[in-house]
Amino acid sequence: MSEQADRPVRRRFASGTTVDDLKAYMKPFAASLGYKFNTEEWFVDEVLASEIEILDATGDVYCPCRMRTGDPKEDASIVCPCIPFHNVQFAAMRKCWCGLFIRTDVEDGAELLGVIEEPERGVEVEVPVCRVSDMAPGSVRHAKVGKRDIALACTEDGFYALSSVCLHAFGPLSGGVLEGHEVVCPWHGWRYDVRTGTTDHPNADVKTYPVVVRDGCVMIVATA
Amino acid sequence: MTATLYALTTCPYCRMTKKYLDENDVEYDAIDVDLLEGDERAVVVADVKNLSGGTSFPVLVIGEEVIVGFNKAAMKERLGL
Repeated sequence: MSEQADRPVRRRFASGTTVDDLKAYMKPFAASLGYKFNTEEWFVDEVLASEIEILDATGDVYCPCRMRTGDPKEDASIVCPCIPFHNVQFAAMRKCWCGLFIRTDVEDGAELLGVIEEPERGVEVEVPVCRVSDMAPGSVRHAKVGKRDIALACTEDGFYALSSVCLHAFGPLSGGVLEGHEVVCPWHGWRYDVRTGTTDHPNADVKTYPVVVRDGCVMIVATA
Repeated sequence: MTATLYALTTCPYCRMTKKYLDENDVEYDAIDVDLLEGDERAVVVADVKNLSGGTSFPVLVIGEEVIVGFNKAAMKERLGL
């Protein structure tokens, strides 16, 4: 590739990486995001063979259906599996852009090959963010849903999601400590109830999001 | 009216689109964007962005109409197949 001509290609994967290596690496990654490989095996093999070509030319496994632009942020968003970058759109489409991955609850991936339909704006979408087994009770983690930064709390009685941005000084609630149903902001100790987004400071509540748990998958409900 | 297909050699849907157009004897100019180099590629990528609003392929341009992705129904309609 021309943009690489005057410098050595940096590689994120070892030389000689095969389609089977990519499968082994991507399968658990996709599973943690609520996706699996398409049930059409010929298609999976074709896409991954293309990704190996791209890997050897560029050093990373970019989506074979989209073009690198040279803008680092844009290009990072098309490294396969690119699900985290497009999770609202893909959750609505029930597949990733090219259909290499489909939602775990889709039985026949053949139906999802081809046409790309963007979700309508304002539609409610259940966006998978992690597996139940990824979180221990009493812990908080960060979840990116579209452009939203969300703190996902795993309490004794279930999962709760709220905006991760503390309204005091914009500290990251997802990096805080969970005490019962209260998350404590790591910066200055503001406390939010994860069930309601309320804090004891007047008029400084944060938005909460419904959470759905199905088939071991934790999903945050957000609008497209 | 000539159709123009912007495609990537690595993209399965681009290959499916080419096959579909060939099977239906549709005349089209194919531009394999990933085979272009340097400035030429930058110009074509910018064109594709303008036409389709993104850098996803294939992009099929028929007159004023732009079809993104392998969309048999849309191609049928636009090409009168």
